Amino acid sequence: MLALLAVPSLGRAQAPADGVRATRLDNGLTVIVRENPVAPVVAIALLVRMGSRWETPDNAGISNFTHAVMVKGTTKRGGAEIAETVAGLGGKISAAGDVDYSGIQASALARFWRELLEMTAELSLQPKLAAEEVDRERDWLLSRLQRRRDNAPSRAFDELYRKVYGAHPYALPSLGTRESLARIDHAAIVAWYRAFYRPERMTLAVSGQVSSSEVVAEARRLFGAAPGAALPPDPALAPPRPAGGRTVIDAPAQQTQILVGGLAPSLDHPDHAAVKVLSTILGGGMAGRLFVELRDRSALAYTAASYYDPVREPGVLVLYLGSAPANAAQAEQALMREVQKIRDVAVSADELARAKGYLLGRYQMDRRTNERLAWYLAFYEIEGVGRTYPDRFRRQVEAVTPADVQRAARTYLSTLTTLVLGPAPAR
Amino acid sequence: MTTLVGLRSALLALALAVTGCATPAPAPATPAGAAATPTRASAAATPTREVLPNGVVLIVQEHRAADVAAVQVWMRVGGRDEQPAELGLSHYLAHMLFKGTPTRPPGSIDQLIEGLGGTSNAFTSYDFTHYDIVVPAAHVRPALEILADIAVNAAFVAAELEAEKKVVFEEMSLVEDDAEKFLTRHLSEVAYRAHPYGRPILGTRELVQGLTRGRLNAYYKKHYVPQNMVVVVVGPLTPAQVRPLAAATFGRLTGPPSARPPAAAVPSLAGGRRDDVRRPEQQAYLGLAWQAAATGLASEDISAVDLLTYILGDGPSSRLNQTVREEKRLVQSIEASYVTRELSGLVSVMARLDPKNLDAAEAAILDVVRRVRADGVTEAERQRAIVTAEAAYAFDIETAEGLAKSYGQAETTWTLDNELRYLDRLRQVTAAQMQAAARKYLGDDNIARVRFLPSGAR
Repeated sequence: MLALLAVPSLGRAQAPADGVRATRLDNGLTVIVRENPVAPVVAIALLVRMGSRWETPDNAGISNFTHAVMVKGTTKRGGAEIAETVAGLGGKISAAGDVDYSGIQASALARFWRELLEMTAELSLQPKLAAEEVDRERDWLLSRLQRRRDNAPSRAFDELYRKVYGAHPYALPSLGTRESLARIDHAAIVAWYRAFYRPERMTLAVSGQVSSSEVVAEARRLFGAAPGAALPPDPALAPPRPAGGRTVIDAPAQQTQILVGGLAPSLDHPDHAAVKVLSTILGGGMAGRLFVELRDRSALAYTAASYYDPVREPGVLVLYLGSAPANAAQAEQALMREVQKIRDVAVSADELARAKGYLLGRYQMDRRTNERLAWYLAFYEIEGVGRTYPDRFRRQVEAVTPADVQRAARTYLSTLTTLVLGPAPAR
Repeated sequence: MTTLVGLRSALLALALAVTGCATPAPAPATPAGAAATPTRASAAATPTREVLPNGVVLIVQEHRAADVAAVQVWMRVGGRDEQPAELGLSHYLAHMLFKGTPTRPPGSIDQLIEGLGGTSNAFTSYDFTHYDIVVPAAHVRPALEILADIAVNAAFVAAELEAEKKVVFEEMSLVEDDAEKFLTRHLSEVAYRAHPYGRPILGTRELVQGLTRGRLNAYYKKHYVPQNMVVVVVGPLTPAQVRPLAAATFGRLTGPPSARPPAAAVPSLAGGRRDDVRRPEQQAYLGLAWQAAATGLASEDISAVDLLTYILGDGPSSRLNQTVREEKRLVQSIEASYVTRELSGLVSVMARLDPKNLDAAEAAILDVVRRVRADGVTEAERQRAIVTAEAAYAFDIETAEGLAKSYGQAETTWTLDNELRYLDRLRQVTAAQMQAAARKYLGDDNIARVRFLPSGAR
């Protein structure tokens, strides 16, 4: 996977015209810096290739759990001191696990960039991982799990992913399960941290009112001493094979959640852009078909949208409705009619243009704050598509034709998994 | 910004909910950022403000962060202007306006904006209603044309008007299903009772069901008049470039003078008020609120209360977090926020917790507040709070719409000048002033309390 990284090799920094400088330290850690003069702030994303992808049902959530413990103390500072120091920088630090990556995100006033980078290095390279913090964070994570279960949309998405992905690790919730969290102990956390927090697996991205040469020098001082080692490639995963079908879950609520999901291409798949456009035509914005047909025209749903997150393994295209229980059956039928229609009838040039405009406009708007800019830089590096990806994605989207959209609909909206979650009497 | 009801932001809210596992570890219980106050500003660049001949206020600031401009119109009308029989009309207007005008058929506005790569949104608050378009900078003209058109020419097509009722019912359900949103709302209801600030922005199911085109249109014609409009444009354009575009659109609007009714003073919370609610969640929620300094009352205390709120409950280093969560382990999350409306501010503390800890957590929270009243805050805390406020401002100005929002809200509920001088004022607040503010506002006997108890609790 390292071979895919679009970064110049071994320690030599390059600062191309886009204001981004990328460097690989000798120990394998990738450093990317974007100079952005807009506001007096700085944001850091330190991502590591660790997450649900490497987890099993027995230790689901361990990546997120490990990060929750990491930020609770280092070999130099306790939790309260860390919190006070970060607040004194006008800063925020958070750490979490996701499916393809985990990591630390931090931001602060730009004049404190050195202190913030030092804190990030300390948390990632010298975490205390104290046994008593493991127990405390487990309680906290269990409470978050309960909160997530109490939240109907979150729970519905978790259940849908579980159905679609089956035995594939993307089926595992990033927070874990009651059973897995109970099983994960201090020794497991320490072992997990040691196995994954290796410079070759890490990407440090910094964006803000900073000098890239100063940041790279400081990053080398703080991170350069971490020992690197040649790591074996990650094992390949068997692709998920959803069977489709419909699942109904009773849950007390004012609203019924209706989700329809189909397995979709990975981030670097040639069909990714076409499915993004397909997703936008159906559920992107207020001119998307689901919003227009199900909310504006027939008021069968309040929320009507689609989701298709970029991931390394196959993703899921989710069509989502939040609906009054009395309308739920009708809303689900109307949703399925939209699926049928986009498979049967090619989209018009106007509608395609609207969708592309919206998709690319949102993409541009999402890459404006330093927090997002830093995250995108690190994310694309971690996913192995490189930091030129945004330009490539834009060109691919612009090239999508009505035939591409129809083909994508027929391919990826064929075996569908439906999940309905809501109060029982209404169905 | 917990005062805002974002009708078009449901998509975003959901996106946050479903990606929750990917978001930062110790997330606070409340959805909005802490200490949502009159936003802060004292940037090197300052906005221009002018009043057009018809009374429309135009605020422009050049902001070259990206090739994106924020174009917003703020109406000086909101939930507080509604008569009891008009409850929910401000919010209903926000639902209807983007639907079209005689020259823009239903759906065409969304298609146009989204096709340009832009987004639109509308928010209803008690003091204002706010329409927001973000577009690539080349398209500021169509954005202004759309906003000026819908500001006075909305069509209210009968079928659309009827269909939207179901959408608003769904929105009501959405709020009721979300414990944190509902806690925010119910805490206001208890804190303000029958005062307009205590009423539901969305109205009631009965009133919305019976809503007629005639009543909506009368409310629209009365309040959507040039003198009630504030136009804010922030982006890579100079005031000289924006001025003719604004003159050709908003500058041409006509209408009667503003007839905004005088707002009533809020009822006192003396003696405190309480309510317990049974909810389907497995966890309990506790909300405590105090009335505090307000923007419209020229209060000198706003900056002191703001900093005090940071110290009490913003982030992991705050007193409530360190004491009630980290030390005593009585809550899973806790956060304090300060929302300033024109006629009343509200300092709230909200916590998510195990139901068995409700009494102990409440006592612990009140003890933290009591200690601030008795002993004040430290200089280190004061410094951290100021840096935190400074950072909140610095992150706001990263985007054109963030900056535009702070100006629009200041112009409609405070003054732009106050907003521009706010950071400087914050820096001058002393620890003694914060202690005085705690003594003045955060008493033991003027608290609104709401508890959500699991319906299956022991």
